[in-house]
Amino acid sequence: MNTWMLAARNLLRNRRRSVATLLALAIGAASILLFGGFRAYIEYSMLTGYVRAGGHLQVQHRDFFLYGNGNPTAYGIADHPGLMQAILDDPVMKSMVTVVTPMLVFGGIAGNYDAGVSRTVFGTGLVPEDITRMRAWDEFLVRNPSPPFALDGASDDAAIVGLGVARVLLLCADLGVRNCPQPQAVSQTSQAASLPPDIAELAGSLGDVKTQRDTRRGAKIELLAGQSRGTPNVAALRVMTAEDQGFKELDEVAVLVKFSQAKQLIFGKSPAKATALMVQLDQTQHVEPAIERLTVLLARFSPKQPLAVMDFKALNPFYVQTIDLFNMIFGFIFVLIGGIVLFTVSNTMNTAVVERTVEIGTLRAIGLRQSGIRRLFITEGFLIGCIGATTGCVVAVVLSSAINLAGLTWRPPGSSELLPLMLRVWGENAMMTGTTLGLILIGTLSAWWPARRASDLNIVDALRHA
Amino acid sequence: MSEAKLEPVAVLKGVTKSYQMDAVEVPVLKGIDLLIRPGHFTVLLGPSGSGKTTLLNLLGCIDRPDQGQVVVAGCEIDQLDEAQRADFRAANIGFIFQSFNLIPVLTAFENIEYPLVLAGMEPDRRRRRVERLLDAVGLADRADNRPGQLSGGQRQRVAIARALARKPKLVIADEPTASLDSQTGLAILALMRRMQERYKISFLFSSHDRTVIKAADDLITLRDGQILSIRRKAAPVVEAAEPEADPDFVDTQADQ
Repeated sequence: MNTWMLAARNLLRNRRRSVATLLALAIGAASILLFGGFRAYIEYSMLTGYVRAGGHLQVQHRDFFLYGNGNPTAYGIADHPGLMQAILDDPVMKSMVTVVTPMLVFGGIAGNYDAGVSRTVFGTGLVPEDITRMRAWDEFLVRNPSPPFALDGASDDAAIVGLGVARVLLLCADLGVRNCPQPQAVSQTSQAASLPPDIAELAGSLGDVKTQRDTRRGAKIELLAGQSRGTPNVAALRVMTAEDQGFKELDEVAVLVKFSQAKQLIFGKSPAKATALMVQLDQTQHVEPAIERLTVLLARFSPKQPLAVMDFKALNPFYVQTIDLFNMIFGFIFVLIGGIVLFTVSNTMNTAVVERTVEIGTLRAIGLRQSGIRRLFITEGFLIGCIGATTGCVVAVVLSSAINLAGLTWRPPGSSELLPLMLRVWGENAMMTGTTLGLILIGTLSAWWPARRASDLNIVDALRHA
Repeated sequence: MSEAKLEPVAVLKGVTKSYQMDAVEVPVLKGIDLLIRPGHFTVLLGPSGSGKTTLLNLLGCIDRPDQGQVVVAGCEIDQLDEAQRADFRAANIGFIFQSFNLIPVLTAFENIEYPLVLAGMEPDRRRRRVERLLDAVGLADRADNRPGQLSGGQRQRVAIARALARKPKLVIADEPTASLDSQTGLAILALMRRMQERYKISFLFSSHDRTVIKAADDLITLRDGQILSIRRKAAPVVEAAEPEADPDFVDTQADQ
């Protein structure tokens, strides 16, 4: 017979009340964990998306992130193949790296001269084979496979545009984009203008565009960009598909081309530069050691050009802001539910003190110290916390598994794509442990005041209590 | 050694106690001087409100006097803090309550065992002692029953065993037979008498039950918070404050 056993039996004394209290705690714990599971899935989904698109790390010119978009050639990385090879050959990096690939971003104007429309765009040159490998990365098993990269295996003039670009350049019909209404004004005024001869000549390979029918798949656009020496250059591109870029702002301007095409467009026959090297790692936890190692490696190249390493969080502030927001909501929910649990358990314990006043007096009379009474009630609160929080964990795991198996989908803000609705509870050990310990602590603290009240009872008054 | 030279189990000197009833202070005990003889059955007698229970509470170290000195088992208990008083009670005083006051979630065995657990006694020794006590109170076959599964008499037997578990110097029983029928009350009284003789423990009762009064060695009569008389069995009359007609008792002088 010890305090634990006595406390456990006291909990079983009024089963209905104990069960109600435990249910409140379990439901609270399950609610916290289910939201936490949703938060975790959002975090992993976003992280996976960003890492697939841009890698864990990017090596850039020190000032590129802030100033480079306007003039990529001024902030490019010279000898990027040498740097890539150095990274791949490094014994430390080799064990962590899955992909190292260059990218070249530039600004320009894309035009669909057949439809008589054009717009400013933000172009990106990528190595398709590397992007295909990057898109296969799935450390967190988010069950949201990226679509095949359309440029992989395509001709050199292939391009991908954002949904907004496709809409504005009236490419939706050619690309088979759904939900892409054509404005009346445009449809009336579209004159299927011919590409001016000078532009066609600049674009090079198109030949006589007035008469030549291009029967290949996709839609035709021309992309005008400024070369490194300031002269304009034009590339005739075949748009393979329109892809959702996640944000409307990006969707309205994104044009993806092969790195070789971008290199040709921006640098012509001059030595090419990359605006960044994307480094994808096998595991996200290797970001810090990889940054440390890359910093050492870059020192070898830095005398010629100031280079810096940026991780995906620095490159994607929206990711950090979103996770911070979810963390704040999670914290708010925890505090809210914790408060409810606190008052529920406290109320139960206070009622127990009143009901057991004579018993408390008896225990004190036969020699149990005040501290013993406190320990008894606090142990009961602790047990309620343990059982309730553990039950809540089990409920959350079962419910989250059921929801995950149900195959529900949802449409995240800013996305046109339906994503699987998943709750990542099982395996989130830190969240489960933290929530469980937090609720156990709250359960224990809830009993502290009633326990103190019980121990302070006057023995004579307690024995006289009716 | 003669009985007169034995150390008293409890001594009260000039003890006063009053309770606050709303704005009014009600005196309950008014300058009590009393000596409780060791190894005796002592009964406190008096009408309701005479101060019997308050006196028992003071002697049981669960209450403090406003004035005066309370010495139990040679210890001036007013000098002890709360934790020391709890330890003192556990070691020296057993309680038997009118309503038994057993812990409902514990079995008969565990109720008796509980004071021994508080004392930190090792499990084997504890078990042996509890089994002996259960046997002594005739409940060996009810060890695993909880209070709710026992009759009133059986509960009081468990309470008696619990009170005796740590072999206290003094057992305080507040109306121990009041909740029992007369037959059971007689049996319980006989049991307590046997226990008292067996373990040489002092019993201090408050009671209105004539059978209890008849069984008493010392009879202390209280009225309005003062001792009206003290009669000690088989002792010469020193002073009769208010003689009673019971031939089993001979009045003695009130202890100073």
